[in-house]
This record gives sequence, C-alpha cells and structure tokens, in this order.
Amino acid sequence: MRKLVVAAALALTTALPATADTIRVGMSGGYFPFTFTRADQLQGFEVDFLNAVAEETGDEVEFVTMSFSGLIGSLESGRIDTIANQITITPDREAAFAFTQPYVYDGAQVVTRAGNEGEVTGPDSLSGRTVAVNLGSNFEQLLRELPNADEIEIRTYESNIEQDTALGRVDAFVMDRVSSAQVIAQSPLPLALAGAPFAEIQNALPFRNDAEGQALRDRVDAAITTLKEDGTLAEISQRWLDADVTQPASE
Amino acid sequence: MRPLDTAYMWDLVPVIAGYVPLTMFMAIVAMVGALTLGAALAIVRVLRIPVLDRFVAVFISFFRATPLLVQLFLFYFGLPQVMPALTGIDGVTAAIIGLTLHFSAYMAESIRGAILGVDRSQWEAAQSVGMTRGQVLRRIILPQGARTAAPTLMNYFIDMIKGTSLAFTLGVTEMMGAAQKEAAGSFLYLEAFLVVALFYWVIVETLSIGQRRLEISLGKAVAR
Repeated sequence: MRKLVVAAALALTTALPATADTIRVGMSGGYFPFTFTRADQLQGFEVDFLNAVAEETGDEVEFVTMSFSGLIGSLESGRIDTIANQITITPDREAAFAFTQPYVYDGAQVVTRAGNEGEVTGPDSLSGRTVAVNLGSNFEQLLRELPNADEIEIRTYESNIEQDTALGRVDAFVMDRVSSAQVIAQSPLPLALAGAPFAEIQNALPFRNDAEGQALRDRVDAAITTLKEDGTLAEISQRWLDADVTQPASE
Repeated sequence: MRPLDTAYMWDLVPVIAGYVPLTMFMAIVAMVGALTLGAALAIVRVLRIPVLDRFVAVFISFFRATPLLVQLFLFYFGLPQVMPALTGIDGVTAAIIGLTLHFSAYMAESIRGAILGVDRSQWEAAQSVGMTRGQVLRRIILPQGARTAAPTLMNYFIDMIKGTSLAFTLGVTEMMGAAQKEAAGSFLYLEAFLVVALFYWVIVETLSIGQRRLEISLGKAVAR
C-alpha cells in the first residue's frame, strides 16, 4: 500500500511542470558499480555523485530507474532532466544534448570468459567472433568503427551481457574498463579482461538542449567543478571503483 | 554447478513482495478498464452501429496486430513529440492505459464471439415478448455470454498481470524491474529471476482458485 501512495505522489509531482528545485535523474539501476540495487536500496557511484551535486546546487534530486532503452526517450520527452548512467560524449549526442564537463575518463574494454583470455586479446582478435554490447551504448558505436568491424558479429542486449559472456553464448562483451574490472573482482561470474583498453571515453551528464536545460546544465557543471576541486569526486570514485577515474589519464 | 544461494533468495522475498501491490494495482485497474471498453466495443460490433462500427474495426485491428511494447513506446515516447501535454502522464498511468487499450481489443473479440455464440432462438424468443434489442442484450444475451467468455477473459487477466513487467521500460519499477536491478548488483541471475517467477506463479494460482469459484457461480443459472 505504501508503494501505491509513493506511486501516486510520484504521479502528482511528475505531472507538474519541471521546477528548478528538483532534478529528475534517470538511470538504469542495472550497471554495477555505477547504479545498482541491493535489498531495494539504489546505490553506486552515480547515486553518490548526483547526491553530492544536488547538495552543492541546493536542489533536490529524484532518481528515476528504468530499463536503459527508455532513458534517452525520457530525457527528450522531458520526463527526466538528465541521465546518470555513464553516458559517453559522442558527436551525435553532443548535437542533440547539452553536456556537462566529463566526470569520468575511461576506456573501452574487451572482456571474455575466464580461461579464454589467451585467445581473445583485444579488438583485433574479435574477427570471426560474437561480441555482446548494451543496446544504444557508445560501445556499440566503437565496435562498428573498428577496422575489422565487418568480421565481428555484434549482438546488442537490453541487459545481462556479463552473464551471456560467462555462459559462453558470446565470445566477449565490450564495456568500460573500470566497471569491467569491478565486475570481475566482485561478481561470482568467471570473466577476465582481454587485453588493454582500446579507446578513451569521456562520460558526462546530458541535459536537454533548450534554455531551461542549458541553465540547469550550467548550474550542475559549476557544482562538478567544485566537487573536482575539493576532492569529493575523487573520493566517490575511490569508494566505488578503487581508482580515481575522474581526471584525464594524461594529467 | 554452484549451489543455489537460498539465503539471498530469502532476502529477496520481502523486496519483491513490496512490489506486488503496484503490479496488482496496474493489472486490476487495466482489467476493469479493458473489460468495460471491450464490452462496449463488442456491442458496437454486434449491433453493427453505423460509422462507429468502422472505427471500432480499425481500433481492434491496430491494437491486436501490434505488440504491446510497441504501443507503450509509441504512446509514452513517441506521441509527446507532437503532443507535449502527454509528457505529464507518468509511467504507471501510461502502462495502465496501454494495457487497457491492448487488452480491450482482444476482449472485444472474445465478448463478441460469446454474444454471437448464444443461440439465435434466444434473440427470437426475447423479441417475441416485446423486448428491445438493448433489453435482449442486457437481460438475456450478456449473462449467458459472460459465462462462455469467463475462462478466456481470465486468461487475458493473467496475461495482463505478466504484461505489467513491461512497465519497467517506462520507468516504473514493478516486480520484474526490481528483480532486474537486484540481479545487476549481485549477478545472481538464477536466484533473482527464480524468486520473481515464483511470485507470479503464486499470484496466478491464487487467481485460478477464484476463477473456478466464479465459473461455478456463473454456471448455476444454466446448470442442468
């Protein structure tokens, strides 16, 4: 019954026009360790990060979880204000959305079933193999841009690419290096990194590209600058990823 | 093979149980809506009401021929691009509207079949005592048709309960969405999906007991 009341209250608040003091943040809730759920508690890097941002800007933050394929549509249709799901900045997305500065610098990583890393050693070795990737993710695009893309069978998934790789249904999956390492370290799945990361990626928060969206973007962007300078962002990164990925690797 | 993590499964039970009311709320509201709309559509078709009949035919054709997920996406993400006011509709409402429209199309056909299945002599007998077409339908045909349609309609209700699992794509965390998110954190897919499957199973089995009772009571009038 309590859930119903919450749902009804949610229905009422989302029916009102977007006000400045609540930032509605969409995430899949299914991307360990950035956004996931344990005992009904939504948690992860993105949750701590957005809470810190909201504290800085003085706004309320409301997390909305939905399957990944619904996120972009929800942002465009104004149901959420931004997406915290490690959204990589790409030219196509930059044309459509107003991005903040990057808050995570990472690489694309090939991951294979444990014991297979002798054969699957990186993007070059993917020719003639089947590779899983999350639907609509930037990694799908990166795979299609590889010189041997024609020889790779790419399979797009709504979720659970780690499981299908562990089961041997596909030869590998491609995801960001940081969460791949965390999945390998903390999940019971038999997985291994295959070679070095092959493309640098920069992740940021996208906002709608209109006056309201840009104003919110500017406010959040200023907060990110503060969080970077006072070390909060680095601390959140250490907490969830055992590494600071919030600065460019070259610096 | 690794053993089942039963301790984890027990921990998930209260989590998933917390989402049962939301799932049932969506299914029940959609069922009432679909039954009402479905019956209205069926009557329009049976009585061959001019003009309206054509609209209903197109409606039924569209909602029967396209997948529920496509309809939900069209309504929730597609239409707001041309009708910004629709953005105000939240995921729960959108899922209920989607389920209602989708299943009303199926139910209309079942109810229509049930109405037409009532023997022609019933119409003639009722009309011979001076009843109007509306009266015949309401007093004679629908009560008999309801009995024929009941098992099929119950099947649609069961489908509807399971159909609510698509609401997660619209941002509604229901039973399946909750299980997905838990599995993403623990990577214990077997345990998480097994728990949610058992929940659906128990819910539907409980309803089946109710269905048997309903069928007995609907059958009383014509029992021989």
